[in-house]
Amino acid sequence: MLKRASLLWLLVPYVLFLAVLPLVDRVRPTVLGLPFLFFWLLLATLLTPVAVWLAWRGDRRRPRREERGRAA
Amino acid sequence: MNAAVATSVFGVFMVLTVGLGLLAVRGRGSGGGLADWSVGGRSLGPVFIWVLMAGEGYTSFSYLGAAGWGYNYGAPVLYVIAYMSCGYALGYVVGPMLWSYARRHGLVSITDMVAHRYGRPWLGAFVAILATVCLLPYIQLQIMGMGVVVTTISYGAISLNWAYFVAFAVTTGFVVVSGLRGSAWVSVLKDVLVVGTLAFLAIYVPLHYFDGYGPFLDRIVAERPEWLTFSGHGGSGMGGGWFVTTTFLNSLTVVIFPTTVAGYLGARGADGLRRNAVFLPFYNVLLFVPMLLGMAAIFVVPGLVGADSNLALFKLVVDALPAWAVGVVGVAAALSSIVPMAVFMLVIGTMWGRSVLGAVPRLAPRQKLFSQVVVVVAGALALLLTYTVPQTLVRLSLISYEGMAQLVPMILLGLVWRRITLWGALSGLAVGAVIVCGLVFTDHDPVWGMNAGIVALAANTAVALAVSRWGPRTADPRPDGEVLARDDEDFAGPGADGSVRGAAVSTP
Repeated sequence: MLKRASLLWLLVPYVLFLAVLPLVDRVRPTVLGLPFLFFWLLLATLLTPVAVWLAWRGDRRRPRREERGRAA
Repeated sequence: MNAAVATSVFGVFMVLTVGLGLLAVRGRGSGGGLADWSVGGRSLGPVFIWVLMAGEGYTSFSYLGAAGWGYNYGAPVLYVIAYMSCGYALGYVVGPMLWSYARRHGLVSITDMVAHRYGRPWLGAFVAILATVCLLPYIQLQIMGMGVVVTTISYGAISLNWAYFVAFAVTTGFVVVSGLRGSAWVSVLKDVLVVGTLAFLAIYVPLHYFDGYGPFLDRIVAERPEWLTFSGHGGSGMGGGWFVTTTFLNSLTVVIFPTTVAGYLGARGADGLRRNAVFLPFYNVLLFVPMLLGMAAIFVVPGLVGADSNLALFKLVVDALPAWAVGVVGVAAALSSIVPMAVFMLVIGTMWGRSVLGAVPRLAPRQKLFSQVVVVVAGALALLLTYTVPQTLVRLSLISYEGMAQLVPMILLGLVWRRITLWGALSGLAVGAVIVCGLVFTDHDPVWGMNAGIVALAANTAVALAVSRWGPRTADPRPDGEVLARDDEDFAGPGADGSVRGAAVSTP
């Protein structure tokens, strides 16, 4: 089932945007003047591409299908 | 004078838009088939796919609704950024999966996929009709959105009714001829203008009105803290629970949304879509701008109520900028209506040409022509309804996204799991659709602090699983490989861009 374990990186945005929401739904402390919630969601928006990139990197490292067949 | 300058700028760009859209298919003749028109011959490179898909996501809502929500409610509007980010991440898996499924079997839309998966052409036709009901309101929203913008930036010189017509005429003007490829070309112009104008506004507006971001943010934190959290702003009914459920539901829906799928299918290769999924989320950073400016408008133009609050951003623009700049911002906003509208119309045309009219054997050879006719009919219908009964479609649009979400089990679950039967998927869809309509039209959305669509989707999935397990089975002798989509194909083996992929996977 977990033949593409790096796909788990794709859950990162769900964690950043949704799972931790109760912890970040606040105005203070402000970061660079931004209310904390806005700062956090901006951070999450910037980290999402990084998470997808990590998933992509995992896929790139997989052997080709025929090579996998040969190894098995 | 102001009106003349801004209107001229707008007019020139609209002519340019149609010209650019038509230029996209220059030299290709009219010989291409439906796939050439609907999904650009599956030949669009990474850059075009990026601008097209980013362009679809950035609709007139982004300029009007996002600013209006920011103005009225504050934080809840951030759900747009959250679901698009999550959806793009999910698209990393779903996009290539749908792409290779469609290419393997020569499919051009989600209705086509459904018909193939369940082996029933009538199911494709049925889903096409449902999806059209959900999509038509979006066309109207784009027409109305563009109308409001054009009237505002022309300082009233172009009346609302004429502005609606311009929206319809410009969009139809290129999409009928050049299809998805033309939409992608226009998206390039759109993105240049959108990125340019928003970057400028993001810097200029706080400086002009508040002496910079520091004082603006300090002021909003001090005076309007209830706008800055989900839990704080009472009365909107949109708390943290609503945010989480809506984001989750929409992130599932956006990956099967017919217009998103049109973007996927237009790509040249599956790996291009994966790379694209890495870069697309960056575009969402732009969405913060209209939201913040909408909140800035709270202090600059207080007291906007009802539909006027949608103009929060444009009131600032008209107030702060010279006429030619107002015209340019207006063009960017207008193109943000035109590009999604073009793809919506294209998708409706494709679904009908292929799955509804194409299901009649006698009509099948002329699918592309029918699709093009349906594009004009759908656009004209939306325009007509905008003039005559504007509230009907607006009301319908409330169920659009949540209604489309009810196709998720039929499509996503169905494509990866053979056990889902035709009757299971259909029963689930029926239950989900009834619940969405029931809750939304009785003003029970949000329900129990949650998005009504997710309640419906849960029931939908449960029914689909139960009926598939215990309900009637239909014989389908085809092997799994013929029916199901695979999530990991097209990594290896020669493909349209095999050289790139070969290089990518050869690293140890």
